[in-house]
Amino acid sequence: MAFLGQTMRHLCRQVQVSQRPLYLAGAMRSLSLTPACAQQQNKPKPIVSSTTSALDVAKNEQKECQSICERINQQVAQSEQGRLFAVVHLCGKQFKITPGDIILVEGYWPPTIGDEIRLDKVLLAGARDFTLIGRPILEAGLVTVKATVIEKTLTHTKTHFKKKRRKQYMRINFQRSPNTMIRINSIELAQPVVDDGTEQEESSKRLF
Amino acid sequence: MSNSHLFLKSGFPRAPLQNGLGRYVCQLQRITLKFCKNNGSSRGMRDFIENHLVDFAKENPGIVVYVKPRRHRTPVLVGEYLNGEREWLSCRNSTQDEISKWIDLLKTQNGSSSSLRLRKMWHTDVPSIQGPWTPFMLRSPDALSQKYPSSEASKPLDAPTTATEKLIELFKQQKLEDEADISKKHAK
Repeated sequence: MAFLGQTMRHLCRQVQVSQRPLYLAGAMRSLSLTPACAQQQNKPKPIVSSTTSALDVAKNEQKECQSICERINQQVAQSEQGRLFAVVHLCGKQFKITPGDIILVEGYWPPTIGDEIRLDKVLLAGARDFTLIGRPILEAGLVTVKATVIEKTLTHTKTHFKKKRRKQYMRINFQRSPNTMIRINSIELAQPVVDDGTEQEESSKRLF
Repeated sequence: MSNSHLFLKSGFPRAPLQNGLGRYVCQLQRITLKFCKNNGSSRGMRDFIENHLVDFAKENPGIVVYVKPRRHRTPVLVGEYLNGEREWLSCRNSTQDEISKWIDLLKTQNGSSSSLRLRKMWHTDVPSIQGPWTPFMLRSPDALSQKYPSSEASKPLDAPTTATEKLIELFKQQKLEDEADISKKHAK
């Protein structure tokens, strides 16, 4: 119990820290790209209103972001990143996928068996050492997720049974809905990761 | 009311033979159309055979099509799959369109699906890449070096700040601001 209290207290402290203009939160997190920039925007103005220090802090933040990007690019160039995973948005649902996974889409969906498709709405992509987080989705073309449709079937028969007591009302319906099985073939980082200020404008233009 | 679903097998999504990892292989290998030449219940099946069967066979060279006339029996579709499963469908009194839809279903599935209730819509061999979450993840190691009983850890989490503490905080803030002003003046 004591330990639980401790962790909870840590959590509280973290929240307090993030409200102040300190950069501890970055140290707590492992390499993550976008939130660092997001933090910068969301932060309330520092209490000590000295412009020079704020600029310095922003510069430091930028430098840190760039160094992280460079390290990620280096890892990808040497193909040391290992297995990638991604969170994709598909037919109103989000799936956490990695190459070789099978996911199922419920309901009517036009692609047929053998179709090779690319999943474009990537919300998050990551590897062992880094995570790219989209706001809400990653830049188009940054991560390519390829998949194959391997099965289109109907579900087992579901019974819809309704009855109202003492009202001579009873209905029974049977239904089977279509299901599509998809195999994830590959997840790749197609472009080098770049961090600059222009990213925000693009995201506002893009339609989700 | 039907209770058949109570004894329905349940399972998880699987694909036979790593299908789709390299290339996709159609799992339907053989389809048999059984019908009667005179009976009215096979009329849709006869229409389908006359109009669409040749096209279907041409489009799907990997599927063997058998046509088997038999006297005074209901029309039947039987699909046989790579994994050895066999799906039997009665097409009594069904129309040509219905039959073509059922054949399409037989073609696109990996085996008989009607007998399995899926418990998950996702299957993976690698459940976690960055490691599963634990309460110690991304936490400062202070907690390990903590000595108990400690006065800090035994305080309630939601203890409100007292008026004195608030005043002290305000005073400190003011001091900081003053210092900043003085340094600015000096800089000028």
